Amino acid sequence: MTKRKNWGWYALFTAPLVIIFSVVVIIPFLIGIYYSFFDWDGIAANPMVFVGLENFAKLFDDERFLNSAWLTIKFTVLAVISVNIVGLGFALLVTSNLRTANTARTMVFMPYLIGGLMLGYIWQFVFSDVFTLIGEITGLDSIFLNWLLDPNYSLYALVVVFTWQMAGYIMIIYIAGIQAIPGELLEASKIDGANNWQKLRKIIFPLLMPSFTISLFLTLSSAFKIYDTNLSLTGGGPANSTEMFAMNIYNEIFGYSNYGLGQAKAIVFFLIVAVIALTQVYLTKKREVEM
Amino acid sequence: MRTTNKILKEVLLILVALFFLSPIYIIFVNSFKNRQELYENVLAWPENFGFQYYIGAMEKMNFLNALGNSLYITIISIILLVVLSSMTAWMLVRTNNKLSNVIFMIFIATMLIPFQTIMMPLMQLMGNIMDTLGIPMLNTREGLIFMNVGFNSSISVFLYHGFIKSVPVSLEEAATIDGASKFGVFWRIIFPILKPITVTVLIINIISIWNDYLLPSLTLTDKDLRTIPLSTFYFFGEFTIQWNMAMAGLLLTMIPIVIFFILAQKHIIKGIGDGAVK
Amino acid sequence: MKFKKRALVSMLMIAFMLVLTACSGGSSEKGSSKEGSKESSDKKITIFQSKVEISEQLEKLAKEYTKETGVEVEIWGTTGDDYLQQLQIKLNSKQGPSIFSLQHVKEAEKLNSYVYDMSNEEYVKNIAPNMELKYDDKIVGVPYGVEGFGLVYNKDLVKPEDLKDYQSFKSTLEKLKADGINPFGLSQEAYFLIGHISNYPFALQKDHFDFIDQLSEGKVTMADTKEFQEFGKFFEAIKANAANPLDVNYDKEIGDFASGKTAMIHQGNWAYGMLKDYDLGFEIGMLPFPLNGNDKLSVGVGNNWAINGTKDKEEVKNANDFLKWMLNSDLGKKYIVEEFGFVPAMTNIDPGELDPLSQAVFEASNSGNTIPWAQNYYPANVVTNDFTPVAQEFFISKDMTGQELIEKLDAAWQNAVK
Repeated sequence: MTKRKNWGWYALFTAPLVIIFSVVVIIPFLIGIYYSFFDWDGIAANPMVFVGLENFAKLFDDERFLNSAWLTIKFTVLAVISVNIVGLGFALLVTSNLRTANTARTMVFMPYLIGGLMLGYIWQFVFSDVFTLIGEITGLDSIFLNWLLDPNYSLYALVVVFTWQMAGYIMIIYIAGIQAIPGELLEASKIDGANNWQKLRKIIFPLLMPSFTISLFLTLSSAFKIYDTNLSLTGGGPANSTEMFAMNIYNEIFGYSNYGLGQAKAIVFFLIVAVIALTQVYLTKKREVEM
Repeated sequence: MRTTNKILKEVLLILVALFFLSPIYIIFVNSFKNRQELYENVLAWPENFGFQYYIGAMEKMNFLNALGNSLYITIISIILLVVLSSMTAWMLVRTNNKLSNVIFMIFIATMLIPFQTIMMPLMQLMGNIMDTLGIPMLNTREGLIFMNVGFNSSISVFLYHGFIKSVPVSLEEAATIDGASKFGVFWRIIFPILKPITVTVLIINIISIWNDYLLPSLTLTDKDLRTIPLSTFYFFGEFTIQWNMAMAGLLLTMIPIVIFFILAQKHIIKGIGDGAVK
Repeated sequence: MKFKKRALVSMLMIAFMLVLTACSGGSSEKGSSKEGSKESSDKKITIFQSKVEISEQLEKLAKEYTKETGVEVEIWGTTGDDYLQQLQIKLNSKQGPSIFSLQHVKEAEKLNSYVYDMSNEEYVKNIAPNMELKYDDKIVGVPYGVEGFGLVYNKDLVKPEDLKDYQSFKSTLEKLKADGINPFGLSQEAYFLIGHISNYPFALQKDHFDFIDQLSEGKVTMADTKEFQEFGKFFEAIKANAANPLDVNYDKEIGDFASGKTAMIHQGNWAYGMLKDYDLGFEIGMLPFPLNGNDKLSVGVGNNWAINGTKDKEEVKNANDFLKWMLNSDLGKKYIVEEFGFVPAMTNIDPGELDPLSQAVFEASNSGNTIPWAQNYYPANVVTNDFTPVAQEFFISKDMTGQELIEKLDAAWQNAVK
């Protein structure tokens, strides 16, 4: 009796969202998987030829795709580290009782409000003019050159811009986490004579574990899916040195009109990243301290 | 000694923040320049502060109409998101069984799907729903809201889920013994406790929905339905980009969110405060 | 207590939303007008086209048309760069427009199932020679207007006789460089870097369609074709003497030219739209790019009006009527020339006053003294996806030769057609 009633509540609370979510995300994704077994150019009126697993077999000979997958992984690792360090640093700074904290918080957060084309344009300018200017003034032109033109640096340029964009966003998550740490704990540690570093390591970090889980995963998923910034900043160049995974798929589907192959790429890479990401969530969740 | 240290910290923080904000400066000054000025020096202070590009941008964008659309779509989407995802997340945490874990994992995993790979099937599906059931999913603001809820539900559930885990069950148990229904327990006791994370969910979703370009561009074809990001098309021609107008438009787009953020900050920073949790 | 209220309100909101979504179905039948949906009582067509610059003017024209005929013309918002993807998605979800735009024959081929055969329509008779969009011997598109590109030059710094062939081109570049002027400008955008300029060696073949087909089949290579070898030499001369194009975006390219820092740029007549924002202190003109002594401008069509043939008969007829009216009525012609600013590709439209670059293109087009736009027949997206990385590599690496550039372009081509 109560069991059935509980199921009723369960359905009432979860079903609406699960249904909307299924219609919008899951079903289209499944349709996408279905397409990956066909040779099709993506035009509804044109023929679809069933080719089985051929698209998946093709992937592993596609050097550009493998290269792009590797680049994406490299980029994601760098981006996750740098965004979280900067974001956490800012979160600690702006939650200290400095008078300027509020203003600083808004300022750091603002870059996140700029999307797409503009972001790329502004940073193109920063790299091409400001960087070279600094290089001329300081004489460090081996470091301060236009990163966007040098295949050795262009990926780092993308990491810089991504960090600039995402740090404020991740900062918000950390702030919420830091706010949730009971004040009396920190007070107590002060009385015990702990210095700042001990306070960080022994109290703040362990209690921030849930925020770490969330932030790491958020950066991981958005770094892995990066497209807009990639397109507007480098367009995948120079010489394909920054063609990230989403762009590679987009080109395959709409550029070369290989719909099935593009979908196959998406699925393979999705599986790889899902394994990585879910492992990350599992590991960090295990370390969370239950209060 | 202590005060100098503190002043140093203050100065340092503001400097770092200013450094962070410097690209915004570029947007600001170039929204006042004509093409020639822009070309001559992007960093320079503009020769005069005329608002003609702002007025031009507003006219071209049909700004008030677009603002209305953006507000309507964003507000309704986030209300639905907050209500539905908090309820779902709470149920998933409190009913700890296989099904809940599977649902939660699916929610998380889909956050890794690049939107580009599902946009075509999504639009086909929506087209089919329109044809067979007659529900106008495409080219209506409500259809877009529906899709926004679907796409942003993963992250919202994820955030709530993490937070609810640290809310002690004891509070709810007491209320249940008093004979309150699940519904009552959730809305009267749990939801107020979730306020800090709700503010976070609000901020994150508002920004992603407010700035979203690709999904609205696929669903809204009618000019009168355009949101702010869609109405900025006009500045990006095939061979000519009107940077000054585009920058002005971008700033106009940012202002409402910055205002919202400043207002919402207070709530985040106040934090739990009332001591209901932990 | 407060929260109970709030919960109720939110629940009501959801209910209200659902009702709203369900009901708005009946009230506003927007967007789709497929067979079976009975809207034909009030005639209506939809237009979705890719050129952002004319969207507002086209809306005005549509209103005029409605005033005159009573047929409603709905103009959808243009999306610019990702237009073709958007169109594809709209057609696939059965939400296609009645009139859309196609850039070239490759797009017509891709959307072959949708394009309507205009061959028997009255208005195609006035299209200027060779400017119609043909696929499978059917006329499937009417040109927006003609456009052309070549060397846009500063008449104070460069004389036409300085640019007759490879030798004179090279020595002019060297001389200008010695005078401290950037002799030649390309810019970093895919089409301005390699897309347009790579057209010349193709266009100078006897039959560029045939050559491209053979190239795709692997029967010929660029590396063994003389025009391409020379093209490689031109690129070496550019790399040796001109500013690195990867450092320059389109805005800067135009600005440097307008301020006299650059003597000539490889651009089309569309660049005038940017140049008029500067006070130029000199006269400008357009010259042919002298590959193999070429003396003709490259003229073609960047955009075409096409009709969606999968719509019901009546809608197709309405779409045809609209095009006919736009291309023949005085008001329509006036809009094409004055409001859209096109160089007309129709023999029955008088171009009126033209800027110097468009004038050069128009004269070339009318005299037939042109070479075609072979890049319209390239494999889809080869320029952005395959050529551009190669060109970037060429300008980044100091010691890559013109011949290596051509070999890599060969490989890129093969990658695109595999």
